[in-house]
Amino acid sequence: MKKMIALLLATAMVGSLAACGSGSSDTTTEPESSTEASTQTDSTDAAEETTGDDTAASGDAIKIGWIVQDMANESQSYSCRIAEEQAAQLGLDFTYYDQAGDAQKATDAISTCIAQGMDAIIINPADPQAVVPALMEAKDAGIVVGLFSSDLSEENQQYRDFFCGTNDTMAGEEAAQAVIDAFPDGCNVVEIGGQSGHDAQVKRHDGFEKGLEGSNITVLDSQNCDAWATEDAMAIMEDFIVKYGDQIDAVFCHWDNGATGVINALQNANMEDVYIVAVDGCAAGYDQVKAGTQAVCIGQSFSNMVAKSLECAQAAVNGESYEEINWIPLDIVTADNVDSLPYPEW
Amino acid sequence: MEKTINVKKIVLQNLVLLGIIVLCIVTAIVEPLFLTQDNFTNILRQFGPLSFAALGMTYVIIGGFIDLSVVGTISLVGVVTLSLIDPIGQAGALFCGLLLGTFLGFLNGVILVKFGAMTQAEVLFITYGMSSIFGAIALIYTNSETEHMSRLSNPYTIFTFIGNGKIGPFTASIILFVIALIIIEWFYRKTLWGRQIALMGGNKTAATLCGYNMKKTLVLVYTICGLFAAMGSIVLISRVTTASPVAGAGYETDAIMSVVVGGTALAGGTGSGIRTVLGVLLIILLSNCMNMLGVSTYLQTIMKGLVLVIAIWLDNRKEQQIH
Repeated sequence: MKKMIALLLATAMVGSLAACGSGSSDTTTEPESSTEASTQTDSTDAAEETTGDDTAASGDAIKIGWIVQDMANESQSYSCRIAEEQAAQLGLDFTYYDQAGDAQKATDAISTCIAQGMDAIIINPADPQAVVPALMEAKDAGIVVGLFSSDLSEENQQYRDFFCGTNDTMAGEEAAQAVIDAFPDGCNVVEIGGQSGHDAQVKRHDGFEKGLEGSNITVLDSQNCDAWATEDAMAIMEDFIVKYGDQIDAVFCHWDNGATGVINALQNANMEDVYIVAVDGCAAGYDQVKAGTQAVCIGQSFSNMVAKSLECAQAAVNGESYEEINWIPLDIVTADNVDSLPYPEW
Repeated sequence: MEKTINVKKIVLQNLVLLGIIVLCIVTAIVEPLFLTQDNFTNILRQFGPLSFAALGMTYVIIGGFIDLSVVGTISLVGVVTLSLIDPIGQAGALFCGLLLGTFLGFLNGVILVKFGAMTQAEVLFITYGMSSIFGAIALIYTNSETEHMSRLSNPYTIFTFIGNGKIGPFTASIILFVIALIIIEWFYRKTLWGRQIALMGGNKTAATLCGYNMKKTLVLVYTICGLFAAMGSIVLISRVTTASPVAGAGYETDAIMSVVVGGTALAGGTGSGIRTVLGVLLIILLSNCMNMLGVSTYLQTIMKGLVLVIAIWLDNRKEQQIH
């Protein structure tokens, strides 16, 4: 009996370990190898058809190393998934790496890309400052470097070829504009920030502050969360409700899933008519806008962002022209246009 | 002379309570809204998820061990439970969630015994590894996306009740917690199995020499911890109506902190669930009061760290002064 249990547990463990490997491993695993196989077949004809340059001449598909900021983050892993799909369609040889939010792992992944002879690296760095030395090496090795979602600081931008992303500062400004438009006579707003100190949190906050400058909107209070956790947003909203009660006319929450917690807190307090603005554009945000619980959802289109990145990488490797800085426009989702926009897949 | 020593002893033994009272008085003076019924409900609601996780952790720590896998357990149980509401109904999903948590805890215990991990350091790393595995399974299971109850087609009224329901002035989750606390404290204080937990934490060798099977006790405390983490997870998803595959992040440190701040010795052997309740209360109150006072998130984190450091320092001083 004991042996049976031990055997069962061992099997379960091996199974879970294998499963875990494919999800969060640092290098390519099963799903990629199948994609690679398929890309190689469709890449040959695609490359031969479209280009007559050096890449096609060598007969190889363009090798793209995609370095994800954190696979445990919803939007990041979604981006990686669509990048994999789009790369397969474009006939690119695609491999992804997970830096798990760690600058050291990002540096390691870049080194691996150099060693593997990638043609282009597209990275969304957890710490844009920390990856600069590694990116310099990549540039020296003749690899095209693209930044995704978060850009390098101005003095380091010579070490990358292009950047594609949405502007989080702009998202904050759009949120401020939405509040100003809804309350032309002024109102009281509270702000619930994302993960304290995270690049997106800092920029969305700055943009919001900037957007409200000179308006007659009063920010009653602003607090950030420990992580991008719905529970944190909900707890802060509950505290705000006790502190300010009916004075609150509008809420700016930095992300849609956090807004779910804000909505719960408001519903528990029977405050249904508060104007909620959130950023992200995920399925939850769209659902909330449709249900009328969230007024505005400021959406970032990850599929456009990914498409632009791959397009730039391809052009750069082939020596064609491309834009260096590509801001992907934000979707301002409201009850009026929610049905006409494509429903997000994450 | 005798009298002063006693006062000192009482103060030293109830420092957390004292801290809570001081915190409440200061906040109430600066922000009178702190003392309203609404805020009381607020605190009780926020008390929910952490209190269960910390209670389970208490008996692991009394037993002389530690469990970092609650992070993975909370995340995995949350996403699995929510996803089961549609296929098997809410009662079935609730039951399966609790069962899964209990199994994950049992699995932890069995693995520790099989691997002969009998020191706190070994246990620390193995449970951390298990947590990563559980967490990664949760991410694969959901494609790293957050699940929402609003998208379900089956009713989820039980969960809404657990998360946001009230009986009189008390929230449903706190009533469930008190029932769980009474049962587990009775088990710990009045049964042979329960007493063995403290014995194991106090002196493993002596306990083994007395003829008790420490391996079984070890599996037991981890199973209890898994069950309580699952309860915490269910309260959490009920409260926020979503299940994120990374929702458990941070719960292990908060749970351990609640236990230690409450006054259960990290070395094991002594402590109780009731002390942990005070620890949880202090942590929840700390963030509630800071939000009320408008203190920034960075400073809140510093405060939380300071409370932990001071609690351990006072714990050591208390030991020295009482003996």
